[in-house]
Amino acid sequence: MVFFSDALVLLAALCYLASSTAFVVYLAGLARPALGVATRLVAGGALLHAVHIVLASMVTRICPVRGLHFALSLVSVLACGAFLVARRRYRVDVVGAFVAPLALSFLLASWFVPSEPSKGIKNAVLPLHVAANLLGVALFTLAFAAAVAYLLQDSQLKKKRVAGLFQRLPPLEALDRAEHGFLLAGFPLLTLGILTGTLWAGHVEAGNARDIARSAFGYVSWLQFAAVLLLRAGWGWRGRRAAYGTITGFGFTLLVLVVYLVRDIGTGVSRTEHP
Amino acid sequence: MIFVVGLSHRTAPLEVRERFSTASDVLPAVLARLASRRELDEVLFLSTCNRVEVFAAGGEHATQALREVLAEQGGVERADIMEAYLYEHAGDDAVRHIFRVAASLDSMVLGEPQILGQVKDAYEAAVAAGTLGSFLGRCVHRAFAVAKRVRTETALGEGNVSISSVAVDLARRIFVDLSSTTVLLIGAGEMAEAAAKGLGRGARAVRVCNRSFDRGAALARTFGGVAAPWEALSSELVIADVVVASTASPTFIVTRDMMRKAMKARRGRPLFFIDIAVPRNVEPSVHGIDNVYVYNIDDLEQQVAEGLKSRQEEVGRAEAMVAAELRDFQSWARGLHVQPTLVALRSRTRAVLLGELERSLTGRLKHLGEGDRAALTQMMESAANKLLHMPTTRLKARAGDPEGLDLARALEHLFDLEDAKAQAQADDAGRVTH
Repeated sequence: MVFFSDALVLLAALCYLASSTAFVVYLAGLARPALGVATRLVAGGALLHAVHIVLASMVTRICPVRGLHFALSLVSVLACGAFLVARRRYRVDVVGAFVAPLALSFLLASWFVPSEPSKGIKNAVLPLHVAANLLGVALFTLAFAAAVAYLLQDSQLKKKRVAGLFQRLPPLEALDRAEHGFLLAGFPLLTLGILTGTLWAGHVEAGNARDIARSAFGYVSWLQFAAVLLLRAGWGWRGRRAAYGTITGFGFTLLVLVVYLVRDIGTGVSRTEHP
Repeated sequence: MIFVVGLSHRTAPLEVRERFSTASDVLPAVLARLASRRELDEVLFLSTCNRVEVFAAGGEHATQALREVLAEQGGVERADIMEAYLYEHAGDDAVRHIFRVAASLDSMVLGEPQILGQVKDAYEAAVAAGTLGSFLGRCVHRAFAVAKRVRTETALGEGNVSISSVAVDLARRIFVDLSSTTVLLIGAGEMAEAAAKGLGRGARAVRVCNRSFDRGAALARTFGGVAAPWEALSSELVIADVVVASTASPTFIVTRDMMRKAMKARRGRPLFFIDIAVPRNVEPSVHGIDNVYVYNIDDLEQQVAEGLKSRQEEVGRAEAMVAAELRDFQSWARGLHVQPTLVALRSRTRAVLLGELERSLTGRLKHLGEGDRAALTQMMESAANKLLHMPTTRLKARAGDPEGLDLARALEHLFDLEDAKAQAQADDAGRVTH
């Protein structure tokens, strides 16, 4: 079972890698059919990855929403799933070019994190806290990908470079709408995550520097995303400004994950001790 | 053999081409006239704005027949008047020409996609008129395959090679759906009209802002749009998504300050300027404002030049595909030469075996019942198939080589197949005609 689960991780990683390559081939204008192949590979990778999570959590008897190992894995699966659902609505298939490498990075990152449940996750509100945050991060990952694609397309148009590696990026309008849509969907989840996190912090009397830093980065990312949405609605901040705001917000969200990562790796449990 | 006689943008000016141009409604009559010539076995007539060509399969006097019909079609009394404009190809050169035409390698605008559709239309007209057979028909089918390969495996059709297509392509990089955009024309001259054709026809709304309101209104009517007074330019910039500027103003009409105010009112909605005026109408620094993109005539022409250059770079690959497909076709065509021999051999063998069986069944074996007779007939058919399987396979394998023709001749001589072969060819010709 453990071997099978590890094989699934390897296959999922290969799918994400092949998908990233196929997206680059498409973007460079080398082969039009590469887009369909790349999208299918993302779907295949996400499916294998999801099966791995189910199997591995059964082996370790750990609920996927408890502990950072599965959380990182889940973020990439959820991001891929959300991408596959939303790509037609927003006509942003090419955003997969950024989602696939991110999914691969998250998968590999989770590989180095122990699969033990995080300490103190006993409270009933915690699964809700983790699930809301994971789904939120997955949607912010997509918003980040759309924002990066927007900036690349904008830069091409401003520099008046029509041909080149990014000649098949979606229209600016589509990327801007997609980015806004993902932010709108992710923000309530992040809000729920922040609220439940604040509730939990009151219970466990969190006091060490890492917990404080994590909370601070969480609040800052919430404020950042709130500002992006508010400025857009009130003052028409869209396009490049909104893209930079989204990327910054996603950066703070990643910092929260990094603090978790440092804490869990810091427990001293090596990857090889886990199935 | 396949022949082509025709004239194109390479050999004849427009006033000559238009004399020979044939509308689709008279095409059946022209095809019927061509088919009535006994020198021609199969014909296909291609008439576009850049070329008029007749493709035919036939004997050695086919090109003369094609020239005569073309002269008649163009209303030219003396065929020698056309000599300077006409070209002709025969055999492999003709096949290569068809492949190159379909693949848009011979087009005025290299890689343009319309020609393939026009060749398909000509093919369908010929099929409908019953003037295509298995040989020229197969050739045209291969031409479609070559064109598809060139389109999908090379970048011959990629890139934009006209100002309007560049403008449309750029607009598509900004807006999801051009049919939901509003196009504003600043100026109402010929340039504005020409540049707006690509964008304005598909836009949700076209607005024209011109110093002379009446002239602006006249242009707006051609696009089903509305005219706006010159004084309302600032407010028009708030409404528009795509702006085509083409006035003869010696100073900038759209300034950075004007655009900054407009962008505030637009709440950041993107705006795309196509400034085709010389001197320019839009201050260059406007391009530096967030969500505003300004492309002047030099920018657009540079994109056109790059598009043409990238297409030219693909010609070598496309020509290699044409050459490869031509080799395949030559191999298939040579295989056709042995086909009548094989048909004759099979026919002769079956006739001998079934004839002997029939003689036995009416003589010594006449006591046999229906079931036994059917079994014996089946056995003879089976024996004929098994006997002929190896020579058929080997001759087909060698069909493309000169040795294959020697083998075919040897078979014809050894089995005395000349008459049967002539019959097979006559049957095949009958199938082509009908």
